[in-house]
Amino acid sequence: MKASDLVIRLAYEMDESEAYARAKQAAYDLLENPHSRIRPYFDLLMMALVLSSVFLLLYSVKHHLGAWSGWFENMVVSFFILEYLGRMWVYSSAHRIILDEYEKSELINQPFRLSRALWSVLRSKWSYISSPMAIIDLLAILPSYRPLRILRLFLLFRLFKMFRYAHSIQQFGSVLREKRIELFSLFTFLMFVLLVGSSVIYLFESPESGGQVEGFFEGIYWSLVTLSTVGYGDITPQSFEGRLVTMVLIISGLGVLSFFTSIIVSAFQEKMGEVRDRRVASLLEKKKGYTVICGFGRVGQVVAEYLSRDKLPFVIIDSDGEAVELARRLGYLVVEGKSERIGLLQMLGVGRSAGKILCLTGDDVVNVYVTLSARQLDEKITIISRANQRQSVDKLLHAGANHAIEPFKIVGLIAGEYVGQPVAFEAIHGIVMGENDITLEAIRVPPDSWLDGKTIGETPLEEMRLILFGVTTPMNRSSNHVRNHFDLESQRFQFNPGADFVLLGNDILLVFGHKYSVSHMRQQLKSGRMER
Amino acid sequence: MSGGADNKAGIFSQAKRIVIVGAGAVGLEVARQLTERGETVRIVDDRETGVEKARAKGFFVERINLQDDEELKRVGIGGEADILFALLDEDASNVFLVISARAIAPALPIVSISGAHDTIERLHAAGATKVIDPYRISGYKIYERMHRPIIAETLEHTVFGKVNLDIAEIHVQKDSFLHGKYLDELFIEERYNLIVLGVVDREYGDQLVFATDPKRHRMDSGDILVVIGPEEAFIKFHRDLNADNK
Repeated sequence: MKASDLVIRLAYEMDESEAYARAKQAAYDLLENPHSRIRPYFDLLMMALVLSSVFLLLYSVKHHLGAWSGWFENMVVSFFILEYLGRMWVYSSAHRIILDEYEKSELINQPFRLSRALWSVLRSKWSYISSPMAIIDLLAILPSYRPLRILRLFLLFRLFKMFRYAHSIQQFGSVLREKRIELFSLFTFLMFVLLVGSSVIYLFESPESGGQVEGFFEGIYWSLVTLSTVGYGDITPQSFEGRLVTMVLIISGLGVLSFFTSIIVSAFQEKMGEVRDRRVASLLEKKKGYTVICGFGRVGQVVAEYLSRDKLPFVIIDSDGEAVELARRLGYLVVEGKSERIGLLQMLGVGRSAGKILCLTGDDVVNVYVTLSARQLDEKITIISRANQRQSVDKLLHAGANHAIEPFKIVGLIAGEYVGQPVAFEAIHGIVMGENDITLEAIRVPPDSWLDGKTIGETPLEEMRLILFGVTTPMNRSSNHVRNHFDLESQRFQFNPGADFVLLGNDILLVFGHKYSVSHMRQQLKSGRMER
Repeated sequence: MSGGADNKAGIFSQAKRIVIVGAGAVGLEVARQLTERGETVRIVDDRETGVEKARAKGFFVERINLQDDEELKRVGIGGEADILFALLDEDASNVFLVISARAIAPALPIVSISGAHDTIERLHAAGATKVIDPYRISGYKIYERMHRPIIAETLEHTVFGKVNLDIAEIHVQKDSFLHGKYLDELFIEERYNLIVLGVVDREYGDQLVFATDPKRHRMDSGDILVVIGPEEAFIKFHRDLNADNK
């Protein structure tokens, strides 16, 4: 009774200890968590250790190494042991299992039996130990134990440890697993042919009848060599029957080989899309705040073009094969699939690390649906959607979009301007599209800079050939030197402020000007000096 | 470019007669906005379904054969139409229409839209005066929303928005007080609360020169000023211009 009380108290303490939970989380991040930042580095380190230890083993066959190789081997093995124990530790939570047992027995009013609890702990840990990966890990450690030196061959098992760390090898394994039924039937057929072939050759090519096959093992060896089209020729059939069987074996060997190749090829072809998608997802894993573009139509293409010009990360989803092909040709990250699928959005990090999502398909129903799903996955993500019809704008905003863009309305606005005033149209079209050298730019006044506290009249805007459009300030600022102001969402736009208007820190100047003038101004603000 | 410009056509110019070809989503939206601005709009299309859909939405659409030059002339091309909009859904149809219309009316301003990027040049070659790429504009707007939010928000709330901030052009007349003056001695910013964006100075050609240009520009008759400002500032400015004329 004493012992079990102690164990339960200890388990409760562990359950409540924050430090313990943190340590376990850290170990989990390092070893198992597929989304952690540190794990790829750990995997690389382990791969390097595996390769260098195997290399040392091979090198030592012909060369004598100094004492340091022993030290190195010990270090590698202790790393492996630590890793093995660590994985066993994070695999399941022992104190939780004990507490569950205890609480269960309290609930049904039965005496708590420590042995039973320990047994379930052992069972859960055993399920780890008996998993294929853990067996490989163990086999990589055991041969280093001196009395088991014979098992040196198993040191090569360390190479299998690579499976753990290299994602691509795991994918290869999963492809093969999917085709296991086909592979199994092929294997059965191969066994059958082997059995028949080796029996026949054993019967007709025995030394008594002038042949070279002395035992049944040699029969199997010969059959396999022939079947695989390797054909060493160390054993050759002499009798008519033996030659007949050779011909049959060669033909069925060709069949087996081509069947095997086609299984592997088709398996990879089927998996190709998935493999590519996973690669896209793993590339995104390292980034934060990227943009997900749903729909690679004309609008999507333009947005992607601007984003890639600015070297900003983004990923495209489209269900149309042609659009996907085009995106791939342009070198963009792209996934083929329906953006309505929540699973696909999640795989691409919506709700986790994606910063913005753009719903740009030509179908408003899809845009509303994707907007709604994205908002459900992430409350903070920025959603911009395309409204192909005027009525959809309200629906999109209601579904959670931050902004809705109406392509046809913009055409209407521009067309209207062209009808009334073609010259003004040219000016605004150029500025709005950012296609001229003259642009409209925002320049923030850094607090405590030389601009902070100056009046508009004192600023060197005119000398720098910048035209002041207005200043955005906090909502509550009003000034006698501004005749018109317009309230934005969270700021106030002061149009054409007079010469006596005082600029304060974090105000934003909106200026028209040549892009060189603007960057010159920005540079001077950064350097903290005003050069006239 | 504003919604607060219902009466702008009245202030600045005569209502224009406009022919819009294409009763799809773009055509109807353009028609709606131009009608709001007080222009006279005539919508035509050659597809029965398009015509009926537009009629169901309350637009009056004429159905004509777009490949027949006589019918094009009948709706005003080469006649009383001031501007033609080619807003069909198919790029090829737009190109064909632009070529036909250009043959009938060599001086008619023709505005078209392009669906694909490489159609823009073809439309220009066919004789379009102006080609609008709705998808490029939308794409840029989305990009601006994401990466230049302050600019996007300001433009949306002011020049593109419902408030009365407009961009307009002012034609310099021989007898106005602008005539013969240098731009920098007019102080339009302070006197009228109007920002001068640029000028078309006929001395230097017909191109718009931005006000950031270091040259001093003298205003002569025929020159055009492009200015931004609130509606009441325009009204005051025009009053002063007209007072001068008398």
